[in-house]
Amino acid sequence: MSVAQWARDLAMGVRFALTGGREGWTRALLTAVGVGLGVALLLLTTAIPSALDARHEREADRTDITWMDSPAPPKGEDTLLVADLDTEYRGQEIRGRGMEPEGPGAPVPPGLDAVPAVGEMAVSPALRELLESDSGKLLRDRLPDRITGTIAEEGLVGSREFAFVRGAEGLAAHLGDYRVTRIDHFGASDSASEGLDPVLLLLVIVVFVVLLMPVAVFIATAVRFGGERRDRRLAALRLVGADGRMTRRIAAGEALAGSVLGLLFGTAFFLVGRQLAGQAVVYDVSVFPSYLDPSPLLALLVAVAVPTAAVLVTLFALRGVVIEPLGVVRTARPARRRLWWRLLLPLAGLAMLYPMIGQGREGGDFNQYLVVGGVVLLLIGVTALLPWIVERFVARLGAGPVAWQLAVRRIQVNSGTAARMVNGVAVAVAGAVALQMLFAGVDDDYTRDTGRDVSRAQMQVTLSDGMPASATAGFASTAGVEKVYAFSEGSVGDRRTDPESSEQVTVGDCAALREVVRLDSCADGDVFAVLDPSYESDIKALATPGRVLYFDPSYGDDEGARVAWTVPEGVKNARERVGLTANTTTGFLFTPAALDGEALAGLRTEVYLQLDRSVPDHQEQVRNTAAAVDPLADVMVWSATEQSEKFTAIRTGLFVGAACVLALIGASLLVTQLEQLRERRKLLSSLVAFGTRRRTLGLSVLWQTAVPIAVGLLLSAVVGLTLGTVLLKMTGTPVRVDWPSLLSMTGVGAAVVLVVTLLSLPPLLKLVRPEGLRTE
Amino acid sequence: MTTAPPPGSLLTAENLRKAYGPTLALDGADFSIHPGEVVAVMGPSGSGKSTLLHCLAGIVPPDSGTIMYDGQELSAMNDARRSALRRSEFGFVFQFGQLVPELTCVENVALPLRLNGRPRKEAERAALGWMERLEVDDLAKKRPGEVSGGQGQRVAVARSLVTDPRVLFADEPTGALDSLNGERVMELFTDAARSANAAVVLVTHEARVAAYSDREIVVRDGKSRDMERVV
Ligand SMILES: Nc1ncnc2c1ncn2[C@@H]1O[C@H](COP(=O)(O)OP(=O)(O)O)[C@@H](O)[C@H]1O
Ligand SMILES: [Mg+2]
Repeated sequence: MSVAQWARDLAMGVRFALTGGREGWTRALLTAVGVGLGVALLLLTTAIPSALDARHEREADRTDITWMDSPAPPKGEDTLLVADLDTEYRGQEIRGRGMEPEGPGAPVPPGLDAVPAVGEMAVSPALRELLESDSGKLLRDRLPDRITGTIAEEGLVGSREFAFVRGAEGLAAHLGDYRVTRIDHFGASDSASEGLDPVLLLLVIVVFVVLLMPVAVFIATAVRFGGERRDRRLAALRLVGADGRMTRRIAAGEALAGSVLGLLFGTAFFLVGRQLAGQAVVYDVSVFPSYLDPSPLLALLVAVAVPTAAVLVTLFALRGVVIEPLGVVRTARPARRRLWWRLLLPLAGLAMLYPMIGQGREGGDFNQYLVVGGVVLLLIGVTALLPWIVERFVARLGAGPVAWQLAVRRIQVNSGTAARMVNGVAVAVAGAVALQMLFAGVDDDYTRDTGRDVSRAQMQVTLSDGMPASATAGFASTAGVEKVYAFSEGSVGDRRTDPESSEQVTVGDCAALREVVRLDSCADGDVFAVLDPSYESDIKALATPGRVLYFDPSYGDDEGARVAWTVPEGVKNARERVGLTANTTTGFLFTPAALDGEALAGLRTEVYLQLDRSVPDHQEQVRNTAAAVDPLADVMVWSATEQSEKFTAIRTGLFVGAACVLALIGASLLVTQLEQLRERRKLLSSLVAFGTRRRTLGLSVLWQTAVPIAVGLLLSAVVGLTLGTVLLKMTGTPVRVDWPSLLSMTGVGAAVVLVVTLLSLPPLLKLVRPEGLRTE
Repeated sequence: MTTAPPPGSLLTAENLRKAYGPTLALDGADFSIHPGEVVAVMGPSGSGKSTLLHCLAGIVPPDSGTIMYDGQELSAMNDARRSALRRSEFGFVFQFGQLVPELTCVENVALPLRLNGRPRKEAERAALGWMERLEVDDLAKKRPGEVSGGQGQRVAVARSLVTDPRVLFADEPTGALDSLNGERVMELFTDAARSANAAVVLVTHEARVAAYSDREIVVRDGKSRDMERVV
């Protein structure tokens, strides 16, 4: 067999694909679009790691406040004071900074030419849009500065990020506050990336594999679009003298053309998608199109693997087909499918995962290659096992009504086609079931009970040091605020510096104090102490009348206010109760009249707010008041539980990805289904001619997909549960089957098939009109 | 022009018109057939033979004209009624591609009975009886893909007869067969039809096939015309 002959046949196939008339290029186009969608998804995935890197780098480059105990540089010509003014608007996070240069050499943040002057601010393009829109009015009240600049791409981590930098003054007085710092450069010196913990990494890997596997299956299906027509065309070639091998090579050439065209389409889809990605925000994460560059090696891999796979799949599919000059003969009784090698794949997958069982979170990193290999093999196992199981299963199905008989017989003859149709769905569902289990299992680890009583207060505002409680009066008149509990909190010690024993101090009016401790009676001017706390303490000794204690004592280098206070007569007893936060309040409690201004200076003011949640934008109103009272105020919205942000992001990613993949699979199912119906148009029409009810035909089409999908979903539930169990064991989490999510995942899979069937019914009814009887 | 059907006729059509876009497939065609009669519809390709057959069988509604079957106006029935009629009173044989490839031959033959609601066993017993008469009972368990063209057509004929129809419609039933096979199929077909006293509307363009009929009608440019029988 000469190379020239090969090349000639392949070229002929390519020519058939591109010039085979309307039918030829419809087929090529379908394949190209299908392969293209898959390729685009592959390219996008290969680009995600670099996109995350790019985001991470940008984030590192603009780092100012590190929360670390690194000593701040001394004030100089080249220093800048930075205040963290992060806020939130209608669930949208906004990165905010106040900046005050201390000299001409002060650093300028990335993305800006100069630090804005006081009363001016620079904003990101997305924030500018928001502020200028009607829906941003409330936010504009909070950020009233004149907008004089735009933060450029270098200063942002995403195209749709909301960020502002405003000029500030007097920040030096707040340097003790954790939200204010002095820097002489931007950028984290050591880009200590907060690595993913092994379990989260495992999740990410599995999410990727689970989402990409169905894409691969989908590409394999797309390559076979229009296969039956092609076979007939090849039969015509046999008639004019092509031999069996030649027809195979020609078919390979056609597949090659389709997949190469698909690569082109895919690149185009990807480029368009990349541009669109710049507009999209997925759960607060947006990217710049420039971030989405697939790594060249992975892109090359895609470019080589896809056409190769297309040719191999085609040749593999033609295995059992003999193309005769007078038509296509599927080898009358195809050899019974063998089980052993099909079982080998999932077993090998399990074997790869097995050594990592019980490793747990503390066990360190999982071997990524083993994880990927194991999961891939297990899921490929689904596609390998499915035809065998479908074959065995339908072989046992007996007689029934005509619709059922037509469907069952068709699956019996063509169990491969039937299995192929549901392969993608089965793989996707198996993966999703496993992931859901893993998520549900480790959910508890990443969801923390905050211990907050959200029925009594829903927001908390922390004022910066030195802000008096009197400043909180404005909250009472804020729209949506029902009750305000303001506390000034701090500590007293038995010595000015480095006290041996110290106690918590809480100042508030009687109503507020009653929210955190039990009091028998209370009047302004009273002083209380929790004399019988649930833990060991020196409070009884400290609360002796006449003893001198010190407010805000200093520890080490940390300078405190160190205000002396003499314990008065008549300190009343207070008893512990469940407070507003997870912490119980103990120590000394004061009503406002019991303390003078000097002692108050060393306290920090916390405001807890009970809100009327029916008032629109109540949270934004509170934030606006807080910003007006104290620009450095820290506003928190309470929730009863709290999830690790990364965990939530991964989970969200899975849902978005799964939706895309299932939509893709649904589309390919529909194409395959319609194609089969068109193939059988004449037969269906003749069935109608001799009186078959359309309902019978519709039902038989439904059964024809429903039976394989039922088998497929059953298999995928089993494989998914197995994989989920193994993954949970790997992370050392107790195995628990999450039935609702199992049912919902299989339900979604079934729904896809049902929708596809319903969508194919109108064309079916159109096809079986008498026109279909025409013989040409 | 008479409006009453010829006395004693089972299926009558008058002045049928049917256009497909600009193409006038039927242009005032008339037709009638008596119980048990075998009528050949002849004519060149594209003359409107199949369209006439489809109209007569209630598969395609004509644009105008009347079709009376056994005293009922066919064109006035809705699709469900016409389908039911086709299931129980008519039988069909087409040129090819009408056997369901996944069903065995006996299941194919039994299909019309099953569509009429007969239990499977009973339907298949009746089907086997007809397959015996057409000498294809040994193919019962084979699938259509495994039998020859002539055998397949005989299976199709058995299927068209299995419901004991009063009218059989055959559109080029031997079109895809060689002459030897074609004659054998025609012989078995007409014998079976005559013994079952079924009327046959036989569309063909081959004089050799038409020779099996009692009467011939020629369709040309959508118009039909009775032929004098030349024995
Ligand atoms: N479904 C259809 N759509 C369009 N044209 C049709 C259709 N069926 C038949 N025709 C046209 O009507 C004419 C008669 O067709 P037909 O009855 O099939 O002829 P015959 O069976 O005698 O060969 C032809 O010109 C054919 O092209
Ligand atoms: Mg015809």
